[in-house]
Amino acid sequence: MSGSADPRDPRGDSGGPGEIAIEARSLHKRYGAVHALRGIDLVVRRGEMFALLGPNGAGKTTLFSILATLLRPSEGEARVLGHDTVRERARVRERIGIVFQEPALEGKLSVRDNLYLMGLFYRLSSRAAKARSEELLHTLGLEEVAEREAQKLSGGQKRRVELARALVASPDLLFLDEATLGLDVDARRQFWGEARRYSQRGGTVFLTTHYMDEAEPADRIALIDHGRILALDTPQALKNRIGGGVLLLATADDARAAAWLRERGFEPEVGARGVLLVVPEPAAVLPEVLAQLPVRTHRAEIHEPSLEDVFLKLTGRALEDGQAAPRARGPSGPGAAQ
Amino acid sequence: MRGLIAVILLDLKRLWVDRVRLATSLIQPLLYLFVLGSGLGASSVMGGRGYLHYIFPGVLGLSLLFSSVFAAMLIVFDRQIGFLKAVLVAPVPRVSIALGKVLSGALQALVPATVLLLLVPVLGLGLSPLRFVELIASMWLAALTFSALGVATAARFRSTTVFPIIGNAVLLPLFFLSGALYPLDRAPAWLRALAHADPVAYAVDLMRGAVIGRYAYPPALSVGVLTGFVVVLTWLATRVFAAGENL
Repeated sequence: MSGSADPRDPRGDSGGPGEIAIEARSLHKRYGAVHALRGIDLVVRRGEMFALLGPNGAGKTTLFSILATLLRPSEGEARVLGHDTVRERARVRERIGIVFQEPALEGKLSVRDNLYLMGLFYRLSSRAAKARSEELLHTLGLEEVAEREAQKLSGGQKRRVELARALVASPDLLFLDEATLGLDVDARRQFWGEARRYSQRGGTVFLTTHYMDEAEPADRIALIDHGRILALDTPQALKNRIGGGVLLLATADDARAAAWLRERGFEPEVGARGVLLVVPEPAAVLPEVLAQLPVRTHRAEIHEPSLEDVFLKLTGRALEDGQAAPRARGPSGPGAAQ
Repeated sequence: MRGLIAVILLDLKRLWVDRVRLATSLIQPLLYLFVLGSGLGASSVMGGRGYLHYIFPGVLGLSLLFSSVFAAMLIVFDRQIGFLKAVLVAPVPRVSIALGKVLSGALQALVPATVLLLLVPVLGLGLSPLRFVELIASMWLAALTFSALGVATAARFRSTTVFPIIGNAVLLPLFFLSGALYPLDRAPAWLRALAHADPVAYAVDLMRGAVIGRYAYPPALSVGVLTGFVVVLTWLATRVFAAGENL
């Protein structure tokens, strides 16, 4: 197959097998008695920005590690850029860049040296590695800190250097594992801006996150929980799947409110923020519910379905388990900094 | 080849920016020689200067052994902080990573050992140029062997808590069995038998032969044994890096 074709080749015939960046077939992963992945199938197309969204412990990092050649599946197989992630690991590695959850820089070396040496690891000539490092320092706005020891950078700067490190060999595919964990809003916005720019130039991005605002701007999202993909679609289609609008009621006794609603033929879910009700026309239902609900309502809210609602509806559990992403007034996800 | 160079260059750059480690590695061998040499020499039947000549290759061995194994232990540290992952996921042949680590450890260990060589004229060892070249060559082989031992061990560990265990359970016995500080010819037979399995013994004997002209083992045997150790240990390290599970 034409998996080794240059994806930046404009003559690449669209829709052909060469257009597939990642393909996973019935992947399972067991750690002793723990069944971390329970049959994952997915296809990511070239040039796509693909988000794997799920709560902590859902299996995101396990799936990520298998696709990024860091882990062997217990069953099933995966192909990345046309190559098997186990048997042809080296071929895959040549063409991917990875930003890990944990830092992977040599803290005592300067930013410039970190990038230059990584260039050598990716088989660039010394001159090419130097040129590429300078280019990345420039495009990622790291020129001012180029001579600083990596360990002395701020959290946001470190992450941008990690991104530069991952981009040093001009990869066709970028893997980002919870890449903005622990960053403040501005740093997150800046990081996703850079990732988005890479994607707009034709690169494929595969990211994992448990922040729904980070998954939102992706082209497609896979919702994952307990090692299974619950739903895989565009953000809009996922939200449409829920049908209608969302009515959220914060009450004095959410459990009792939910029980009452159930008696009335609704299908409520109790989340961290209150009782969630998905109905075709929330505005038409609200007055009657408020008038008759036997418990006191502190707050009523109507909104378009969010990914959070989709997740809650599919699993009966909240996505971020009470631990919300650092919120800004505006959006701070991958699409925010364009 | 580029991968191999990258591995070595990375380590040497890190040694260079770590001035404390560099300075320690320069001072430490001198301490070994004078403290050990004068302390032990005073109570030795061989007398002061003769004993200094005898233990000089032993001190070279001690310095090479501890420096190269310590350099290799940084692999465990790299693994713990996550940096090793970035290296292991690069498209570098696994054998280049293992060999690069072995070579860079040997180079790092040869820095302090080379400082010790400045003492050759001071100690009045009177080496001919040929002997001197022989000494340098055996130092290289010794450094490669110890470094391969360190890399093959360190590649398997995930936590730095093993450092003192390796120091006490591996390095000290290897060193004490080697005859570096005292001749083993009057030692019990079982001890001498054990010494036959100790690569440090062959390495020290090779260096000592270059210095004092007398070998305990045939030099060809020592060279063969040490080369065998380097090849097997580097291969073992390559296998660990190639395993690919939980990088």
